[in-house]
Formats: sequence, structure tokens, C-alpha cells
Amino acid sequence: MYGGGNTFEAPKQNEMQAEDPQKLAEFEARIERGEKIEPSDWMPALYRKQLIRMIEQHAHSEIIGALPEGTWITRAPGFRRKLALMAKVQDEVGHAQLLYSAAETLGKSREDMLSDLISGKSKYSNIFNYPAFTWADTAVIAWLVDAGAIVNQLANSRGSYAPYSRALERICAEESFHLKYGHHAVIHLATGTPTQRKMVQEALNRWWAPLMHFFGPPDKMSVHTEVLMKWKVKMATNDDMRQQFLDMYVPKIWELGLTIPDENLRKNEETGKWDYTEPDWEEFKRVINGDGPLNKERLAVRRIAEERGRWVRNALLKSEANYVTPLA
Amino acid sequence: MTIQSLDPRVSRLGLTSLQNDDAEQATVNQFPTFQVFTQKKEDKPFEHGGIVHAPNIEMALIFAKEQYSRRFTCSGLAVAATTSVKTTDVSENKEDIYNLIQEPAVSSSEKEPYEIFHLNKRGKQTVYAGSVEAGSFEEAAWEAKKAFQNDKPVYNLWLIRRNDILFIDEEDKDIWATLGDKKYRDALDYKATDKIKAFKEEQNR
Repeated sequence: MYGGGNTFEAPKQNEMQAEDPQKLAEFEARIERGEKIEPSDWMPALYRKQLIRMIEQHAHSEIIGALPEGTWITRAPGFRRKLALMAKVQDEVGHAQLLYSAAETLGKSREDMLSDLISGKSKYSNIFNYPAFTWADTAVIAWLVDAGAIVNQLANSRGSYAPYSRALERICAEESFHLKYGHHAVIHLATGTPTQRKMVQEALNRWWAPLMHFFGPPDKMSVHTEVLMKWKVKMATNDDMRQQFLDMYVPKIWELGLTIPDENLRKNEETGKWDYTEPDWEEFKRVINGDGPLNKERLAVRRIAEERGRWVRNALLKSEANYVTPLA
Repeated sequence: MTIQSLDPRVSRLGLTSLQNDDAEQATVNQFPTFQVFTQKKEDKPFEHGGIVHAPNIEMALIFAKEQYSRRFTCSGLAVAATTSVKTTDVSENKEDIYNLIQEPAVSSSEKEPYEIFHLNKRGKQTVYAGSVEAGSFEEAAWEAKKAFQNDKPVYNLWLIRRNDILFIDEEDKDIWATLGDKKYRDALDYKATDKIKAFKEEQNR
């Protein structure tokens, strides 16, 4: 499970004016009652657009997120870890399929989403533009990136769009294995030899800033998403999710005798919240716009996979095939 | 151009772009979709799982096994082309969709089995309710109303001709035989507490 740090566009001033006020009121009343929105229901164009964007970003993140871990399968220490990592990568690609299906019910085809990923038009979680240099990097990804994603996804599963909730329910069930597997791998290194401890500490140092970026820009910098929160598209603010992550995982990192590369990080007894140094948000913007260590490589690997499989798909395509938007 | 990666394992793959693909973009770029239904245990009803894209219904059944029963055993699996599923509107606020179904004007003499699925709550999966004999989708909906309407509201009906559904054969059910004993992908198999406790005790010594 890899979705997180979704970037939302600010709704334009005139975007809502074209909507039928009565249908909009019924739609909002349904969400207010706690009923989910099914694909055949009327929905505002902005709701549809933002959901496609969010679910599609999540799906792309699963696919791209499988790349840094996938290349480590052959180097995983021991047969059991190879099996486990293979199962995890397989799960992530399966999650992508579930999420593409959910987004597809909103009217954008899977092929269009995959094309937009390859062309760079659609985004994916920024964290996968950073390299996994050592085995410890994959352990930190499996534990803490998945942990961050779980915080985000548990919130989203309470959202209003039924197919996305259904997909997330399945995804969350499989995800607990990833988190435990990652935690186990980090514990193994952190309680091991001095070399192993050093390796996992260095990996944590490398991943801390991307992990803080993971939940997206601070609320005071983010675009206004009130309407998306009212429609239960976005379920928690970036800062709230970041706080929840710190609350749950900083103590677990500390108990392993590891340090976190932020001397200002501590729980503020007065506010009950974590104080921390803001990560470099200029870097975040730069990387999300294509200038990260691995952006080009990730997309190139994905594009080549697409190209190499094309002859198989073309051989199987039939011109009479009748594509319709899937149901649920 | 061969990819030169920061990750030596990627570089070693020697991936090169084919660079000749734009010309051969097919006019059709989509496989049709199929709705997938899984039955987790013999005594449980079939339940909608999601969709797969596939070139035909036989391949759809294979993909469905990988996508929807990769992590647990099923006692049954079925797929139907999305185009063969007839649905009603989705009702809201405890309104029973069956209340909107009218008796069809004409009745056909030739009947065949239709499978009926209910959405019992918005946001939940559509589940199998039972089968009826009918000559058309309209008749099937009316027969379903007579057979399955009760005091619990149903929000949405799916109707599929049984002939349009592909079920997994009894003899093929050994596809699930490989699923047992893969403890390495089970969260319960990763025990951390003892190791952390031992580590802390050693630190404090």
C-alpha cells in the first residue's frame, strides 16, 4: 500500500457554477447521511475529476513502488525473505490493478491511465524517486513507507466513493503482512552486528526526509481542500496524518536504539503534538516535477515493460471487443 | 538507449527502449472487462470481487484467480462480461429498489435461468441472492421481486443470464491447492516482541 501525499489541484472559482443545485444538494445530503456514492450515481464534475486523480495516483504509486523492491528480490538475504519479498511485490501490483479498476468506474480507461503515467502527465508518490542503495533501504521502505501509507489509506477507506472503499478494504487486509515483514527486517538489522546497525541507521537517515514529504506539504502551504473534505474525498489533512504517523512510529524507531536525523523532533507536552523541522519543501516540489534522482529511470523502466508487452496485447486484441465502463 | 541506473541491478538488466512503437498503436487499445465473483466457502454466497481485463472469458477466469483469490482459497469462482450484466438504478436512504420494479406487460413462453445479485448496503460488495426462471431481464427482475423481496431494503440489482457466466469446473479447483502453507506472507508469522524485549534487556544490562 503506497498511496500518500496526494497532490490536489485547487478547485477553480467557476468550477462549481455549472452544477445543478438540486442534484448537488441531494448528492451532499447522501454523503452527509454517511451513504457511499456508487458509480452510476450523479456526481459533480469536480468530485469525479479529483477522485480519478487521487485513485490513479495511488494506483501508479503501487506500480512504481514495486520497482525499488522488485530489483532486490534476487539479493534478499535468505530463501524465506526472497519468498516474502516476492509475495509483497506481487501484492503491490495486485493493489494497482484493484485501484485502476476503481478509477475506471469513474470513466477513465486503464490504458489512458497507463499512458498518462508513462508520459509523465500523472503523478505517483514522490518517495519512489529515491534509490534503495542497500538491503536496509528495502527494510525501511517495507516498514515505514508502508506504515505511512496505511495511515493515509485507513483514512481514505472511510471516504465517500464506494469502489475506492471496497478496493481499500481488500488492500488494507493484505497490507498488515507488509508492515510486519518490514518491521521484522528492521529489528533483525537493528539488533544485529555493528555493521548491520550502521547499515539500517544510514538507510533511516536517507529516508527520513522523503518520509516527512510523504504526507504532502503542510496545511498552511496546501491548496484549499475544504470542498474535498466535505465530500469525503480527502479524509484528513496532511499535517494530521503526519502527526499520526509520528505518534505511532517514532517510539518504535527509538526503542530499537536508532536515531532520527532531526534534532528538533520531540513531542510537545503542551500541545500534545510533535515538533519537528520542516523538511525542504522546495526539494519536494523539484522532485515531484521530475527532477529527482530516479524520476527518469522509473518511467523508462515502466515504458520499456509496456513496449515489450505490446505485441502480446496486440495479438490478443479483437476489433469487435466491446469496451464499456466497468460496474463497481 | 540502455538504462544506466543508480541501482546496479537495473543497469545489469540491459533494458533498451524499442523506440518503434508509435506507428503500431492498435485502433482498439482495450481488452473488454469482466465482473468477477468469488465464493469463499461452500455455505457462503458468491460475492462480487471486482473486475479483470481479458481478451476472452476463459482468460478472464484465469486472471480472476490471480487477482481475487491469490491470498486465500475459494470454493467457487465465476466471471461474466460486463456487457452481459444488467443493472437497475441504485436507490438511497433505505428505499428498496424492488419497489420500483413493475410487472412486465408480456410474458414469454421460453424461459431460462437468470442469476440475481443484491447490493444490500451502499459501499459493500454485491452478493448473490438466488436464481429465477425468466424470458427476459424485465421478467427476471419481476420474478426476483416475488422471490427475494423482504423487509430489508435492496439498493441495486444485478441480473445475469446463467449462460453468460463462466464458473470454474469442479475438477479445476485444484488451482487453489498451492495456497496452503505460505506462512511467509502471513502477518501473524512475524513475531517482533520477544526480539525487541531481549534487545532492551541487553541494552539495560
